[in-house]
Amino acid sequence: MKVLEAQEITKIFPGVVALDAVDISFNRGEIHCIVGENGAGKSTLIKCLTGVYEPEQGKIQINGISVSKNRKMFDRVAYVPQEIDLFEHMTVAENLFIPFNRAGIHGVINQKELRQKAIPILERFNIDVEPETAVKDIPVSQRQLLQIARATAFEGYDVLMLDEPTTSLTTTDSEKLFNIVKQLKDEGKAIIFISHKLDEVFEIGDRITVFCNGKKVADASINDVDIPWVVTQMTGRSLNEKEVFFSQKVEDEVLLKVEHLTGDGFEDISFELKKGEILGFAGLVGAGRSELMQGVFGFRNVYSGKITYKGKKWKIGDTNYSVNHGMFYLTEERRSQGILANLSVRENASINALRQVRNGMMISRKKERTLAKEVVASYGIKTPSLEKEIKFLSGGNQQKVIIGRSMCCNPNILIFDEPTKGIDIGAKVEIYFLMKCLAEQGIGIILISSEMDEVMKCSNRIICLYKGRVAGTLDNNENKEEILGAILGLNVADREEK
Amino acid sequence: MNDVKTVGVKKKTMKDIMGIISKNSTVIIGCVLVLMMIVATAFSPYFLTLFNIQSLLRDIAFIGMVAVAQSLLLLIGELDLSVGKIATLSGVFGGLLMTAVGWNPFVSLVIGLISGIIFGLINGLLVTRLRLNSMVTTIGMQAVYSGITLVITKGKAITNIPDSIYFLGKGNIANIPVPFIIAVIVAICIVFFVRKTKTGRYIYAIGNSREAAKIMGIKVDSIRVLLFGIVGFISALAGILYVARLGSAQASVGNNWPMNSIAACVIGGVLLTGGVGSPVGALIGASIICLISNVIVLFGVNVYWQEAVSGFVVVIAIALPSILSILREKKKIRIKGE
Repeated sequence: MKVLEAQEITKIFPGVVALDAVDISFNRGEIHCIVGENGAGKSTLIKCLTGVYEPEQGKIQINGISVSKNRKMFDRVAYVPQEIDLFEHMTVAENLFIPFNRAGIHGVINQKELRQKAIPILERFNIDVEPETAVKDIPVSQRQLLQIARATAFEGYDVLMLDEPTTSLTTTDSEKLFNIVKQLKDEGKAIIFISHKLDEVFEIGDRITVFCNGKKVADASINDVDIPWVVTQMTGRSLNEKEVFFSQKVEDEVLLKVEHLTGDGFEDISFELKKGEILGFAGLVGAGRSELMQGVFGFRNVYSGKITYKGKKWKIGDTNYSVNHGMFYLTEERRSQGILANLSVRENASINALRQVRNGMMISRKKERTLAKEVVASYGIKTPSLEKEIKFLSGGNQQKVIIGRSMCCNPNILIFDEPTKGIDIGAKVEIYFLMKCLAEQGIGIILISSEMDEVMKCSNRIICLYKGRVAGTLDNNENKEEILGAILGLNVADREEK
Repeated sequence: MNDVKTVGVKKKTMKDIMGIISKNSTVIIGCVLVLMMIVATAFSPYFLTLFNIQSLLRDIAFIGMVAVAQSLLLLIGELDLSVGKIATLSGVFGGLLMTAVGWNPFVSLVIGLISGIIFGLINGLLVTRLRLNSMVTTIGMQAVYSGITLVITKGKAITNIPDSIYFLGKGNIANIPVPFIIAVIVAICIVFFVRKTKTGRYIYAIGNSREAAKIMGIKVDSIRVLLFGIVGFISALAGILYVARLGSAQASVGNNWPMNSIAACVIGGVLLTGGVGSPVGALIGASIICLISNVIVLFGVNVYWQEAVSGFVVVIAIALPSILSILREKKKIRIKGE
């Protein structure tokens, strides 16, 4: 039974046709997965289906009623955005029921009443926190579940949209989430699931629709197709699963040596990074990988320890020093710490390399444009123009701008923190290949990733962190179970028992 | 043939101009300023007289200078509410050196300016080193500067300012008031700084995301302190020019500068959250504010009502960009509905 139906939807942005006459419909009791590369039009579709954007053409019907007649129908669509957008300083229960009048709470907010209403919902979604806890104090995985709980806390929805719900979740947390989603499906809700992780799509989905360049290119029942088929549809090329991307030219020279580093979120960590090496850091969310690297880079406090770079002492705690000495940190939080949202692609691309585009004191607009054009061309960035604000680009294209601008400065050490978070398979492979090329040019690369496959495919060595400590250093030819064991802290437990 | 061609070219340029106007908020606000001047000329015979224009430009010079300075801080998401009191204290300080101490007036001026830089740097260091909110910090500091002024002057104006410096405040070059010329020079320098230098670009980076800027290796705190210093310098410059204009240093000067400078920036399209806008906009915004109070006097609004009326018009001016975008959205929805 069709609950949400869109016919011939077209959405045009200046210079780009984001959606081109798309027909799509969603049925009750079905998990409908939508996949596609960055900029394929998935997010635009969602924004049209939730009433955020007005499509230029086309009809949207919810429960058979056209939304142009009754915009209230959009309330039947519950939407969980990709980025967590909870109110951090309010409690879990308050977040759950905002807006209060929709939850049937009027006038004075009674915390006891909130608590009573919240407990069954939290139990149902396996969120193991007290309703009075402030959201900023609960782990990321719990926040993601809380977002879904919030969207579905009300009876009056028929469609649940999940936009990349597992990007900040570990495998175990993802499993919990999937169980909940399956329950909701059995209750007869239509579920729209957007993900870059194709194994998840095949684990959970019933139908799959593939987007490419704003067009719907294929749809099928998930039982009839397999992952290579989907990848071919998405990218037009086939995927080689066995392909590996670690550096072939690791030299003996030690580039960076970290000794007994202790800081905010990590303890007593020592490792060496060799020239031309890709060093992977695996671990659960919250294991201290990002914290450690931010400490090394100078963005986060370090209490004690020593870092040497090519045998010389490294100044800790100064990002300017790090960047000037060729160390770059490509952050996981692209939106808040990576891009300069209101500035143009040109300004974002050149910001690290302004020294190179100057005439005397002045920035030369001409040289700057040339540099930005080069970045856009060499990293295949899709943008309507150099002057477009970067916030209008898709996540993958933003990431490419950030990589491109760091590369302008001839880096010696690059720290990639979840470089492919929210990025599609085609672009992922490009980024892996890029890392390999850079490493083979003699750059030392540190790769932080929550995806096991990614770490194993790309790293020459893998260091596993568990609760802020090193739980094991492994070669890339070691089997998956060994690494998994290390990041889950199993061998740490062994050691403690002994 | 030729005619057809030129028409084609003209059409295109008209379209281009319209495109530039609708995209660039500085141009829009510039058009509003021109429009207001036309209206003022049409309705008051006194507006376009040499005397009135000169006094208008002299007003614009002071608010404009401070607004341009304030826009630097707004661009990085900070603000300084002590600009007026820095101006007063620097003016009083310079004035005292010229009169009571009897130093060379121009040396005293320079020392007054240096004191302004120091006051600005103190603000900046407090905000960055102690990680304070700049609004609250400068509310406190403006009381400190104002208090010191009172201690020095005992509430009395410092008179007997040597008339060798009067031309800086009262003089004209080719009928253009000297303070206005100085303000324009300051504005050009600041615009050059913001648009063309590396540090200028970093200002926008910090305004967009302080964390991202830090990750890029930008010395965020140094730039913040530097900007507070520049703001202190420009405020002191405005304060000292005001002393030269009045011929005396008074404790009550600059009371409305902080609010007017911020309003001018907002009218000129500078976002309070940082990262968007330009000092040019701030200067135009300041011109609009001064024009409003000038016109209200010329139109003969009741003296007691003047402040309320000009405040109301300022609110309308601030609301203009957002009213335009509301109307644009409404129009879109209406077209969709049909």
